[in-house]
Amino acid sequence: METPETVPLKKTDAGQAARPQQFAQAAAEQSCEAVISARQFSFFYGAKCGVDRVSMDIRSGSVTAIIGPSGCGKSTFLRSINRMNDLIPGSRAEGILAVNGHDVYDKRTNLVNLRQQVGMVFQKPNPFAKSIFDNICYGPRLQGIRSRGRLAEIAEKCLRDAALWDEVKDDLHKSALALSGGQQQRLCIARTLATKPNVVLMDEPCSALDPIATARIEDLIAQLKGAYTIVIVTHNMQQAARVSDETAFFCLGKLIEYDKTEKLFTNPSKKETEDYITGRFG
Amino acid sequence: MRTWLRQIQDKGFTTASAGAVVLIAAALLVVLVPMFGRGITAVVFTETVEFRRLQKDLHGRGDNEHLARALADAAAAREPIYTMLREFSEGIDTEPLVKQARDVYQKYGEYLNYHNTPKRQYSDYRRQAKDVRDSLVDALESDDRQTVLDGLDAVLKEKDNPAFADTPAMEFFAMAQRYRKIAETVDLSHRAEYLTHLQEVTAAIRQLLGPLPGEATPPLWMDQYGATRLDIARKAKAALLYDEQWISDGPGKPMVKKIISRKEQFAGTPLEPLFDRVEADWEKLLQPRLRIYWQYFFDDWVNSHYFGGVGPEILGTLLLTLMSMCVAIPLGVISAAYLVEYAGDTVWIKIIRMCINTLAGVPSIVYGLFGLAFFVVTIGAIGKPCILAASLTLSILALPVIIRASEEAIRAVPQTYREASLALGAGKFRTLVLVTLPAAGPGILTGIILSLSRAAGETAPILFTGVVAMGPIPSFGSPSQWIENPGSLLGWLFQPTRALSYGSYDIAVGDRISMLAPHQQFGMAMTLILLTVALNVAAIVIRSRLSKKLRGC
Repeated sequence: METPETVPLKKTDAGQAARPQQFAQAAAEQSCEAVISARQFSFFYGAKCGVDRVSMDIRSGSVTAIIGPSGCGKSTFLRSINRMNDLIPGSRAEGILAVNGHDVYDKRTNLVNLRQQVGMVFQKPNPFAKSIFDNICYGPRLQGIRSRGRLAEIAEKCLRDAALWDEVKDDLHKSALALSGGQQQRLCIARTLATKPNVVLMDEPCSALDPIATARIEDLIAQLKGAYTIVIVTHNMQQAARVSDETAFFCLGKLIEYDKTEKLFTNPSKKETEDYITGRFG
Repeated sequence: MRTWLRQIQDKGFTTASAGAVVLIAAALLVVLVPMFGRGITAVVFTETVEFRRLQKDLHGRGDNEHLARALADAAAAREPIYTMLREFSEGIDTEPLVKQARDVYQKYGEYLNYHNTPKRQYSDYRRQAKDVRDSLVDALESDDRQTVLDGLDAVLKEKDNPAFADTPAMEFFAMAQRYRKIAETVDLSHRAEYLTHLQEVTAAIRQLLGPLPGEATPPLWMDQYGATRLDIARKAKAALLYDEQWISDGPGKPMVKKIISRKEQFAGTPLEPLFDRVEADWEKLLQPRLRIYWQYFFDDWVNSHYFGGVGPEILGTLLLTLMSMCVAIPLGVISAAYLVEYAGDTVWIKIIRMCINTLAGVPSIVYGLFGLAFFVVTIGAIGKPCILAASLTLSILALPVIIRASEEAIRAVPQTYREASLALGAGKFRTLVLVTLPAAGPGILTGIILSLSRAAGETAPILFTGVVAMGPIPSFGSPSQWIENPGSLLGWLFQPTRALSYGSYDIAVGDRISMLAPHQQFGMAMTLILLTVALNVAAIVIRSRLSKKLRGC
């Protein structure tokens, strides 16, 4: 990979001019493949620094795993991408984080549009207390789709994409909470796909699931690769090695190493990475 | 600590807590069972024929033919009683007889004038008639039997006097004959005593059977009918058959209550058989029958709750409660949502939260006075006590509870629900409306249930702001009025109403009704409890459905 600092980003609009010159310039010439680009991106909870000057590009259509010990800022970084961290009072971001060339932390960013582009799957399956159908249609309905036929189409497509269709096609109008944990998580993925995002963020999506359900989710990730850019945070290094194309290793808020998964796991260039993946620390 | 000690501790605590629960349940039963037991008598009781007559006259309820037959049976049984009473009272209470004698004398004079009697004959006849009248009046007014009998004999001697033949004066002799019969049996020396007792007996009979035949119709409905219920009839019967007297054994000794049988009191008089007759013909006199008076919950009262039901009170309570909830629920839930989801943790918010907590503990009479001062007096648009002012006052009373419960419920919704919604591109408001509030629904409903029961049962806040003990039922107008003037749809908001809570209070302090018709008092209390329970059950059913849906069953 190229060193991110040297890769300039495409300039998006006039608003960027107010930002420091080097970032504006960087934003101007984003590499065509990168969907998510971070330049010296930092995130603070009050005085505490969660993410410390991270710069990285995430390739379109790839699966990127973020690994690292607990509290290293990997979840914070992931949640920064669709600004889920805004809910925490006293949080603040510095530097640039761009999705599709638009600065996420720009004041004029439309959060609704951003979150429709960047979907998210959470650690614990969190379907709404509604029917399976209504869960899937939550996003499309927010986008103003009202036609029942169109919604049914979307629901079927997303459930097929999430490999859940065959299991639930007969009881779409049953409560989503009646599903098993693994099914619920796949439903959450389907629900996320229904808003037609191009990026799907997954925050330890398998940590609350048993091995069989985990395997199904991993299969699903493999199927979705290419159509969606997937960023997955995981504690499970085997999982990261299995599903991802690229892997980033975070430690104490800093991005230590970011490389092809194969290389990172077999031949890490940094000492910390090696210590972590061999289990000597973390 | 040793294991056995811990086990004893555990067992002790379990026993104590179970005991506490049992104690509470028992206390509840001790309060509720007598309340319901007495209250239910307002609805299920043994009616008499008088009650059927009342229902027919007031509401046109009941089968005409049946009623007529029952009334005829009752009248047949009552007839001897009335006759006995009349005859006896004629003997004892001679004042009307004296008046009658004077009337007869007057009529006789008119008769003579009418027939153009010659002048000399006229004054002679008049004198003779006057003698007869005077000796009759003397006999009637005397207490000594011998004087009476002699006087009457003197009158009866004149019976064949040609001057009186076929004239109104013959009435003198009929009266004398009737009175002689009484004078032979009754001890006239106790006339004054008999007279007071007779008045008591007559009053008791009026209580039991309604106005005596020939009496003018009393103005109050409650006096126009005898005992409508068997329990009231039994009281009247006791007053009829037994005299309660407070008698002192001697000077300085305490008064002792003595129950004296009327039969002994009137021993030897023609009235004596009346009491046995009442006992014997008891069923025939009143024609008792079991009645389920379900209309109690719909009827208006008659004579300040002596008859009738609590329909308008139920309507008023429902209007007040539901109207206050219509105001308090949206306001409360919106405030709670703001406090949890939007407001920061500033000093102001802390002060506001503290104020809300304090409001929850303010005595209800303070709300009532506030409502009077603010809604009734200050707000010109309302200007008078009415449903609107009362329900607004009630809604302020209900607000703190709803806000507190809703706040807790909204806070208890897992953050992941909000995150899921936000991550799908919903805004803060949509997340609140589509996800957070539905998930908090059961908790919010708990707050609503608590405040609903309180609002329905409160008296003090509505006391000054819109409730009356007696007054018209709020009118809702008619469709034609609504079309003509759409404002009249809301007209009921500006009328005062009656309410169960205030009605119970009013009956309780109005001693006459609470003594004469205790079933009304307990009936109203029972209705209030039933209504509150019904509203609660409705809310609980909604809540359980909601939480079932939320659990995904």
